[in-house]
Amino acid sequence: MTHDLTRRAFLRAASASIALPPLAWAAEKSPVESRFVFWFNGNGIPERYWIPAATGPEFQLTPCLAPLGPFRRDIHVLTGLDNPAARLPGPGNDHHRTMSALVSGTGYTSRGCGGPSIDQAIAARIGSESRFRSLQIGVCQESHGESIQRNLSWAGYERSLPPEVVPHNLFDRLFGARDLSWVDRKKSILDAVRESTSDLQGSLGAHDRQRLDEHLTSIREMERAIASLPPDYGRNVKEPEDVSDLTDYPRIAKIQTDLLVHALASRQTRVASYMLTKCQSLVRLPWLGYSARRHHDYTHERADGPDGQRILRDICRWHVEEFAYLLGRLQSVPEAGGTLLDHTCLLYIHEHAEANAHKNNGLSMILAGHAGGLKGGLHSEMTGSVADLYLTLADEVFQARLGSFPTADRKLTGIV
Amino acid sequence: MMRRLFPILILAALALPAQDDERFFSTTLYPIFQQKNCRACHNDDGVAAPTRVHFPPDTATTAQIENFGRGLALLGKLLLEKPTLRTPHTGGRLIVPGSPEDALLTRWVDYLKEHPYIAEAHPNRPDASAAPAPAGRLRRLTHSQYNNTVRDLLGDQTQPANLFPQEDFVHGFKNQAEAQSVAPLLAEAYSAAAERLARSAFRGGDTNRLIPCQPAGPADAACRDQFIRRFGLRAFRRPLTAGELRRYTTLFDREARAPGAGFLPAAQIVVEAMLQAPGFLYLTGSGSYAAAARLSYFLWDTMPDEELFRAAAAGELATPAQLERQARRLLRDPKARQFLDEFASQWLRFDRVTNTVRDRRAYSQYTPELGVAMTEETRRLIHHLAWNNLDFTTLFNADYAFLNTELASLYDVPKPVEEFGLVKFPPESDRAGLLGQATFLTLTSKPEETAPTARGLFIREQFLCQQVPNPPPGVNAVLPPFDEKRPLTNRDRLLEHVVNPTCATCHNLIDPIGYGLEKFDGIGRRRDKQGIIFSPTRADRNRSTNTVELDINNTGRVAGLPNSDFSSPKQLGQILAASPACQQCVVKQLFRYAFGRRETPDDRALLDQAFAAFRDSGFRLQELVVSLSRAAVPKEPRPQGSGL
Repeated sequence: MTHDLTRRAFLRAASASIALPPLAWAAEKSPVESRFVFWFNGNGIPERYWIPAATGPEFQLTPCLAPLGPFRRDIHVLTGLDNPAARLPGPGNDHHRTMSALVSGTGYTSRGCGGPSIDQAIAARIGSESRFRSLQIGVCQESHGESIQRNLSWAGYERSLPPEVVPHNLFDRLFGARDLSWVDRKKSILDAVRESTSDLQGSLGAHDRQRLDEHLTSIREMERAIASLPPDYGRNVKEPEDVSDLTDYPRIAKIQTDLLVHALASRQTRVASYMLTKCQSLVRLPWLGYSARRHHDYTHERADGPDGQRILRDICRWHVEEFAYLLGRLQSVPEAGGTLLDHTCLLYIHEHAEANAHKNNGLSMILAGHAGGLKGGLHSEMTGSVADLYLTLADEVFQARLGSFPTADRKLTGIV
Repeated sequence: MMRRLFPILILAALALPAQDDERFFSTTLYPIFQQKNCRACHNDDGVAAPTRVHFPPDTATTAQIENFGRGLALLGKLLLEKPTLRTPHTGGRLIVPGSPEDALLTRWVDYLKEHPYIAEAHPNRPDASAAPAPAGRLRRLTHSQYNNTVRDLLGDQTQPANLFPQEDFVHGFKNQAEAQSVAPLLAEAYSAAAERLARSAFRGGDTNRLIPCQPAGPADAACRDQFIRRFGLRAFRRPLTAGELRRYTTLFDREARAPGAGFLPAAQIVVEAMLQAPGFLYLTGSGSYAAAARLSYFLWDTMPDEELFRAAAAGELATPAQLERQARRLLRDPKARQFLDEFASQWLRFDRVTNTVRDRRAYSQYTPELGVAMTEETRRLIHHLAWNNLDFTTLFNADYAFLNTELASLYDVPKPVEEFGLVKFPPESDRAGLLGQATFLTLTSKPEETAPTARGLFIREQFLCQQVPNPPPGVNAVLPPFDEKRPLTNRDRLLEHVVNPTCATCHNLIDPIGYGLEKFDGIGRRRDKQGIIFSPTRADRNRSTNTVELDINNTGRVAGLPNSDFSSPKQLGQILAASPACQQCVVKQLFRYAFGRRETPDDRALLDQAFAAFRDSGFRLQELVVSLSRAAVPKEPRPQGSGL
């Protein structure tokens, strides 16, 4: 029953997407560019159903990881990575502190992240040539808390970058039908908007100037997205069907994933973050048969008993299914003699390891794709921090030369 | 790991006292505090409860004492001035100025000045050297204000902001200036909404009469200027500057000259540009027009009307008395209900009720419609008290409620004569006021059970305006598991909090409040026992579901409030209604909502004045609102802080 439902949702969504068009426009750019996808779902994992027993190439896929069967050689399961900044004293609960530390290596400020998240640090180095410096995409919306729970990407101190959760809006940003007169018109409007924003800025105190500066940056990003419309690709991407049930998340997840893949394939961006569920997620999961409570409730109420663990296993496997769907879509796009998956680096993280215990040392994550010669078909137990991993990926996969990242102090071996 | 933390720790270390100074506090100064017996009054139940200090227990370790000493930084200069009677101190002069003890205390106070308490500092905070600024003058329209404004400006009922990125609750409200940034996604949402709104404004001609003249043709400059001035005034809530006028004229002309275009398409592009300009999106500036806008966004949640614009143009919003006259006029208008709805729904977190999830096995009665009815009950009581000029503290102890049939059945009281009509509770009822309403009892519960901690926390934060610190990192927050053989009440499970000293300090302040409400379940029904449902496990699936019923100990108290033992929502409501802490908290909450920021010490006089007005009127909410409105006096720009 459960599986039927999921499959039906899958097929519906799949039929909405289309065969990928020729890459006429993209071909004008260099033959290959590496992409980064920062992928997240909230609330941690049931470790016993997630972590493979063996390390090295002989590891067995666990019940949670089973959907990754077809992609065994494309993934590298990493366990044991520390998140030290999560344990610094400071405001907020464990989810707040862990999330801020996880994405940025900095402590939670009481309103948000203390610095840019890794995807933004990378986007600052490699995103400038694209129509969108980076994209933020989301699916499930329910969570405890505020910004820190709702956002994966942070442009800087307390500067959240909310994900687009409405498929139509995302489609419109990426592929909405535009003509030249629309572009001209929009440009002159944005000129006026930018000028009046700059005017106002002159009259403000330091604090307000900072806030208006963020607004100005947003206007400039918009101008840049409008200045370079993708000429051909968009015509072949159909507008997503209306999703009448706004909590039909398996369906929305697939539409959002399709659009993400189209965005990467059409080279509109090199960096994207994708939040399947929020940090400290309160999503209900009726398609799995679990609707009495919300995901976060299941992680804490009677979570350690066999029934509680089974529920967490099933929920976690759904997350991994959606990740596997993305890998499949990336693999279906031919690019430069290989596939898009060959030129993408995906990092799939959660804010905690064992969910009930809020474990933040020894995190488990999945690295996937082959951009920059990433190794695959492995499970490695790591010594080091998640920030060490970020530094390694930024430098060795993307040549982003960050130099440093908070709480990172060395690069990891065995990644590329 | 230490090596990796280095960049952060070094910054943190700057804020921490050196070893010797910590030792100085624990060995030299702390014994003096002990000898003076400060803790006898400055504790949760003492006469100085409002200025209580959390002294370490007798068994405290040196580290705990030193940590306490660092925390005293939060007292600022009071730490020196109070015990030496340099400012009035109920406890009298405990330390003589000029004495050796005075010198020791001064040394520590000076030390703390240079070493701010670690909790205040975040290494990445921009401009961390500056004093933490109250949010600046710039306030962005909230999503609700945006919807109301485009309705009143353009006649558009589509509520476009409902799909904008979610707003954060900060200091309890969604309108706090410091959280109102414009991220790229929001800027795009503004832009897309402006495009849609401008298009539909002129669909089928100028149906909303935005053009105040009959244009002779696309190039009618007089009509163009009239339109831009008139619409600009209403959109920006002030006359346009010469530069703005030029900017929009240029935009208009370029569009009007385009082949096939005309006056209306040119007007449309001006509307589209103005709707994403800061003049529209932000409340800024000083002067009469700014005062008019602040007043109307506070009291109507939308843009000023013609009369406010007239008063602003005539300079009639320059004195508190003039502002008061307008404020009273605005409050008489039905649009003032928008203000009260917004304030109440944020303060009392209606969103948590309408997004409630309930375990059907435990709460078969719960439906989303019931959730909406709950908030409607709360709304009705608040409107009833506010618009009939009744004592607003009755919110906490009203012996009546506005119920529909479902709520009456939930509460087990007679059905109302009409839906959401007034129903009086019988005298022996434990239920009264907000704390007996399903809204409060539901929003502070979990899907399958009540949450005494959440209830206590909500009361501390929303009704007493007391911040309870978050749990420290690394504490194990997992409560003891229980099973059918050893079922535990919520109270017994939560006692774990008190066994663990790390948790006890704060949870002693929180959990006992919730205990006193335990005879009301997770959707607001009265109960005598706590029922715990045990479903058969997979291994044992032939068994039927078993519900274990446990006795409830519902004695509760609010540590820090005198005579605050209670065992029902009604009793707690009476305690809160009579408590100055709670009455003052209503003032603070309304201040935060009205000013879009948290209060600072500079606001003391204003808050005192507002509280006096509130109290002297017999706690009429409208008088409190009017008092705060008088503070919207237009001022010259100050670098920090702001009026309404």
